[in-house]
Amino acid sequence: MVPPQWYLFLAAAVFCIGLFGILTRRDALYFLMSVELMMNAANINFVAFAFYYGDLTGQVFALFVIALAAAEVAIGIGIILVLYRNFGEIDVTVPTEMRW
Amino acid sequence: MILEALIAFSFLSALVVLLAPDAWAGRLAFGLSVVPFAGSLYLWSAFEAGGNALTDGGTIAFKSRYEWLEVGGRSVSWFVGLDGISLPLVVLTTFLVPLAIVSAWTPIDERQSQFYGLMLFMEANLLGVFTALDFFLWFVFWEAVLVPMYFLIGVWGGPRRKYAAIKFFVYTNAASLLMFIGFMSLVLALGDSVSSFGLPEITQAIADGGLGEWFGIAPETVAMGAFLAMFAGFAVKVPIVPVHTWLPDAHVEAPTPVSVLLAGVLLKMGTYALLRYNFTMLPDQASALAVPIGIIAVVSVIYGAMLALAQKDLKRIVAYSSVSSMGYVILGLIVFTEYGVGGATFQMVAHGLVSGLMFMAVGVVYNATHTRMVGDMAGMADRMPVTVGILVAGAFGYMGLPLMAGFAGEFFVFVGSFGAEALPYAPLFTALAMFGIVIVAGYLLSAMQKTLFGPFRLETDYEVGRAPVHDVAPLAVLLAAIIVLGVAPDLFFEMIRDAALPVVEGVSVDG
Amino acid sequence: MVNAFAYVPAVVLLPFFSFLIALGAGRYLPKGGAFGGITATAGSLLLSLWVAAAVAGGGEYNETIYTWAGGEQFELTFGLLIDPLSALMLVIVSLVAVLVHVFSLGYMNDEGETGLPRYYAGLGLFTASMLGFVVADNLLMAFMFFELVGLCSYLLIGFHFREPGPPSAAKKAFLVTRFGDYFFLVGVVAVFATFGTAAFAGEGSFPALAAAALPPDGSVDVWTPGGLDVGTWFTVIGLLVLGGVIGKSAQFPLHTWLPDAMEGPTPVSALIHAATMVAAGVYLVARMYGFYTLSPTALAVIAFIGGFTALFAATMGVVKDELKQVLAYSTISQYGYMMLALGAGGYVAAVFHLTTHAFFKALLFLGAGSVIIAMHHNEDMWDMGGLKSRMPVTYYTFLAGSLALAGIFPFAGFWSKDEILYEALVHAPGEPLLFGGYLMGLLAVPVTAFYTFRMVFLTFHGEPRTETARDPEPVRWNVKGPLTVLGSLAVVTGLINMVPVKTVFELKGIDYLHRWLNNEWGGIEGLSSHHYADIGPYSSQPIVGGEVGTVLAGAAVSLGLALAGLGLAWQLYGGASPAEHTAKLGGIKDVLYNNYYLDELQVWLAYRTEDVAGVADVFDQGIIDGVVNGVSSVSLAGGGRIRLIQTGLVSQYAGMITLGLIALLVILSVGGGWFL
Repeated sequence: MVPPQWYLFLAAAVFCIGLFGILTRRDALYFLMSVELMMNAANINFVAFAFYYGDLTGQVFALFVIALAAAEVAIGIGIILVLYRNFGEIDVTVPTEMRW
Repeated sequence: MILEALIAFSFLSALVVLLAPDAWAGRLAFGLSVVPFAGSLYLWSAFEAGGNALTDGGTIAFKSRYEWLEVGGRSVSWFVGLDGISLPLVVLTTFLVPLAIVSAWTPIDERQSQFYGLMLFMEANLLGVFTALDFFLWFVFWEAVLVPMYFLIGVWGGPRRKYAAIKFFVYTNAASLLMFIGFMSLVLALGDSVSSFGLPEITQAIADGGLGEWFGIAPETVAMGAFLAMFAGFAVKVPIVPVHTWLPDAHVEAPTPVSVLLAGVLLKMGTYALLRYNFTMLPDQASALAVPIGIIAVVSVIYGAMLALAQKDLKRIVAYSSVSSMGYVILGLIVFTEYGVGGATFQMVAHGLVSGLMFMAVGVVYNATHTRMVGDMAGMADRMPVTVGILVAGAFGYMGLPLMAGFAGEFFVFVGSFGAEALPYAPLFTALAMFGIVIVAGYLLSAMQKTLFGPFRLETDYEVGRAPVHDVAPLAVLLAAIIVLGVAPDLFFEMIRDAALPVVEGVSVDG
Repeated sequence: MVNAFAYVPAVVLLPFFSFLIALGAGRYLPKGGAFGGITATAGSLLLSLWVAAAVAGGGEYNETIYTWAGGEQFELTFGLLIDPLSALMLVIVSLVAVLVHVFSLGYMNDEGETGLPRYYAGLGLFTASMLGFVVADNLLMAFMFFELVGLCSYLLIGFHFREPGPPSAAKKAFLVTRFGDYFFLVGVVAVFATFGTAAFAGEGSFPALAAAALPPDGSVDVWTPGGLDVGTWFTVIGLLVLGGVIGKSAQFPLHTWLPDAMEGPTPVSALIHAATMVAAGVYLVARMYGFYTLSPTALAVIAFIGGFTALFAATMGVVKDELKQVLAYSTISQYGYMMLALGAGGYVAAVFHLTTHAFFKALLFLGAGSVIIAMHHNEDMWDMGGLKSRMPVTYYTFLAGSLALAGIFPFAGFWSKDEILYEALVHAPGEPLLFGGYLMGLLAVPVTAFYTFRMVFLTFHGEPRTETARDPEPVRWNVKGPLTVLGSLAVVTGLINMVPVKTVFELKGIDYLHRWLNNEWGGIEGLSSHHYADIGPYSSQPIVGGEVGTVLAGAAVSLGLALAGLGLAWQLYGGASPAEHTAKLGGIKDVLYNNYYLDELQVWLAYRTEDVAGVADVFDQGIIDGVVNGVSSVSLAGGGRIRLIQTGLVSQYAGMITLGLIALLVILSVGGGWFL
C-alpha cells in the first residue's frame, strides 16, 4: 500500500505547479488551467485522506469539487471571451479599471 | 393584536404607495397614514394606566408576545406593548406623519411614490421602536429607521445632501454599535438570571441584583461601563452636546417634511431610549453620575441656544434650538422626580409638536421664497398673513408661552428639578438651564423681526402670494394640538406620571 | 340672590370670546369686530361691578376650578381668588378696557387703519389675559397670564408691522420683560420647591406657610437649598419674583422697553400703561404682599428701586419733545411711586395710587390720542400750541389729568401721592434705604409737575406753531365720551380715600379704600391691610408735631414742591411762543435726551451676546464638527493610502495570498511548537 505522504507530496507538487503558473503567466487561459491544477491538488488530498480513513465523505467532496470546477471553467471561459471582445487580447494585466 | 395590525398596516401601505403612480401617491399616502392615527386614537381611548412596562408590578397594555428564535440560550421574541411613556410617543408619531405627508405635497415634485413610500416605511419602523419590548426586535426597528431616513435626505435633500445623509447615517450607526456593545455586556453579565431578551425581564433582573461577574470584571464596573456606552450611544441620537453636529447639517439639507419627522420623532427615539435603558434599568449608575450629566444638560441648553443665536439660516436656528430643548429633557431625566421624569417625557411630545410646527412653517415660507436666509427677505407678513400668523404663534410656543405645550413640558421639568435630591446643586443647575428661555426668545424674536416684519423685500422675479390651503392646514392642525396640550397637559401627563413614578422610585438617593 | 362669584370666569372669558370672534370673523363684521369687543368688555365691567358689590356685601371667593396637572409632589391648578383687592382691580381693568375700545373707534376705525380685526383681537386677548391675571389664586397661574399679557403687548406694539420701528419695539418689549420673567419663573419654581404650593390665600397658602416657618414661630418645616437660613431664602425668593415685577412694571433697570412701546397705537399705550401690563407688576407685589412683608430686606429694596425709578424717569421726561414720550416716562415714574409705597409698607397707598393712576393716565393717553388725531399723527409738541380753544373737551379733560399727575390739590393724584410720601416718611427712620427712596420720591414731585405742565403749555397754550395746529382735525363722540368719563374720575377718585382729611378733621370712616382693603365689608382672612401691618417690619413714627402735624407738613411740602414745578413750567413755557430752554442744561441735556445711555448699554450687551454666540458658532463648526469631520477625513485618507496596494493585477493578488498563506503557516507552526 502506498503511504499517504506520497499522495501529499504529489498534491503539493501539483499545487505548486498551479501556483507557479498563476504567479508568472499573463495569459488568462493559462490562468484558468493553473487554477484547475490547484483544485485537483486539493482533490487528490481529499481522496487520499478518504481512502486512508476509510470515510467516503472526502470522495464525495472531491466529486463536488469536480462539478464546481466544470462550472467554473464555463464561467471562466465566458469571462475570457468578454475580455477578448473588449480588449482584443486576453492579457490579465491590461484590464485594471475595476481596481478602485 | 392591534399593535401588530398597526405596524403591519404601515408596512403594507408603504409597499402600496411605493407601487402607486407618482401623480396621486401623495394623496394616497395621506389617506393611508390617517388609518394608523385613528388606530392610535383608539389605543389612547382604550388605554388604562398601569405603571411602567419595564419595572416590577407594571402592567403592559396591548401586550402580545410570540417566541421567535433562540440566541445563546436566550429567547428572542416578538414582544410589543405600551405603557404611559410609549403611548404618547406612538400618538405623536401617527399624528405627525399624515401632517408631514400633506406638507410634502408642494415641495416634493419628483419620485413622489418613492418618497411617500419611504415616509410610511419609516413610520412603521418608528412605531416598532416605540412599542417593542424585546431588545432584538427593538434593535431591528431602531436600525431600520436609519435606512429610509438616509434615502430621504440623500435623494430629496438640498445641495449638500450626500454629505449630510452620510454623516447622519455613519454617526448614528456608529453610536448604535457602542450602545449595542454596552447592552450586550449587561445581558451577558446577567448570566443565567434571565432567559430572554425581553426588556422587562432584564430590568427586573438587574433590579433584583442579578448582575454577576463577567470575564472577571466586577458587576458594578460592568454596569457602569454599560451605562456609559449606552449613554454615549443614545446621546448621539438625542443629540447632546458635543455629539450634536450631524443634526444641523441633516436638518438644513433634508426637505421640510423629513425635517418635521427628524425633529419631531427621530430625536425622541434617543431620549426615549435613554429613559428606557439608562434611567430605568440602571438608575443607581445614573444617579452616581448625576453631576456630570447635569452639566451636560445645562451645557446643551445654553450652548445650543447660543449657537442658534449665531445662525442666519432659519432651519439651522430651529435645529440648534432643538439641541437646546433636548437639554431640558436630559435635565428632567437626571433629577429622578415625578415632575422631572414625567416632564421630560411630556417635553418629548411637546417638542415634537412645536418643532414640527416650526419646521413646517419655515418650509411653507421657503416654498414661496426659495430662501431661508434671514438677510434675504423681509416683511413676509405682508404677503403670507395666515402662514406668518401661525409661524409667530409657533415661535411663541417654542419660547415657552404658557397655555401652549412647550411651556407645560419645560415648567414640569423645572419644577421637578429645582428641589430635586438626586442631583446635587439642583437649584443652581435648574436656574442656569432656565436661562435658555431668555436666549430662545432673543433669537426667535430677532429672526422673526428681520424676516417677517418691516417693509416687504425679496429679490424674486415672480409674485409671492399666499400659500395654498393644503400647506397651511397642517400648520393650523398642529397649532391647535399644541394649544390643546398646553391647556390640558393632563391628557398625556396623567399616564406619563403613572409610568414615570416607578422609575423615580427605582433610584436610591443617599442624602 | 344669584351668586355673583359663579360668573367670575365669564369676566375673563367674555373678552376672550371677543378675541376669537374678531380673529375668526372680524373681517366680515362692521367696524372690524369693534362692537364685539365693546360688548364683551362692557359685560365684563358689569359683572365686575356685581362681583365688587358681592364683596362689599361680605362675600369672598377662593376656589380651585381646574387642575392643570395633578401630581403627588404638588398639584398645578387654576383657581379664582376674589377679595377686595382683586374685585377693585377687575373694575379698573374692565372699565379702562371698555373706554379704550370705544376710543379705538375714533382712533383706529375713523382714521382708516387696516388690519382692524387683528387689532380688536389683540385688545380682547390683552384684556382677557389681564383679567385672568387679576383673578389668579396662585403664583403659577399668575405667571402664565403674566406671560400672556407680554405676548399681547408684543402683538399690539408691533401692530404696524409693515414699518421698521414697531416690530423692533415689540421685540424689545417682549425681550426685556422676558428677562425679568426669567427671574420670576425661577421664583415660581422655588416657591413650589420650598412650600409645595403656590396658592396666594388660605391656610395652606405659601405666605401663610412662610410666616409659620420663620422664627420665632417655626412650626412649619420648609425646604431650603443647601440648608440656607429660612429668612434669607425667603428674601431671595421675593427678589426673584421681583425680577418679573421690575420687567413688567418698567422699573430701573428694565424700564427701557416702555418708551419704545409708544410705537404701538395710542389706545394700546393707554391700556398698557393704565390698567394692564405695567399695572400687572405692582399688582403682583400687592397680591403676594403677605410674603413680601416677611422680608424687610426685600421691602427695602423695593422701596429704593421705586424711589429711584420715580426720580430717574421723571428727569428724562423733562427734555422729551414728543407728547407720548413724556407720558411714557411719567408712567415709569408713577409706578416707581407705587413700588416705593409697597416697599414702605403702604399697601393701601400703593393700591390707591394704582387706582387713581389708572384713571388719570388712561385719560392722558387718550387725550394725547385725541391730540394726535387732530394733528394728523404728528406727535412733536413743538409743532402744536394753542389747541386749547380749538379742542376744549380734550383740553379740559387733559388738564384734569395733568393736575392729577402733578399732584395738585384736590385732584386724584394729590391724595394718593401724598399718602405714599407720608407712609414712606413715617416708616423711614432707621431704614436708610427707605429714607433714600423717600427723598428721591420727594425730589421727583416738582420734576413731575414741571414736565407735566411743560407738556400742557406746549400743546395747548400759546400760539399755534404750525398749520395743522391752527386747523386741527375735529374728533367725534367716540373720543370725547371716554375722555369725559375719565376726566370726571381723575377729579373725584381722590374722594375714596381722604386720609389727611380724616386725620386732621377726625372724620371717622371717610377713608373708604382703607376700610375696603381692611376687609371691613368682606374679604379673605390673611389678605387684609391690618394683617400686613401686623406682620410687617415697620413701626410708624410721627416726625413733627404728632400725627396731625406730620400729615399736614407732608402734604404742604409735596403740594408746595408740585406748585413750584408748575410755576417754573409756567415761567419757561407759559408764553405765547415759548422757546426751547433745554439747551441751558448743556451736557446734561444730551444725557437725559439719550436716557442716560441705558438703551445703548442694553444694545451693547445684546451685541456682545451675539459676539459670544458667533465665537461659539466658530468653535462648534471648527473644533467640535472639525473633530467629527477629522475622523472621517483620517479614515478616508487612510483608505486612500491603503487602496494603492490594490493594483488590479491578478498575479500580484495571488502572490499576496501566497505570501499571506506562508506567513500564516510560519506563525502557526512557530506558535504551535513544530520547530521545537
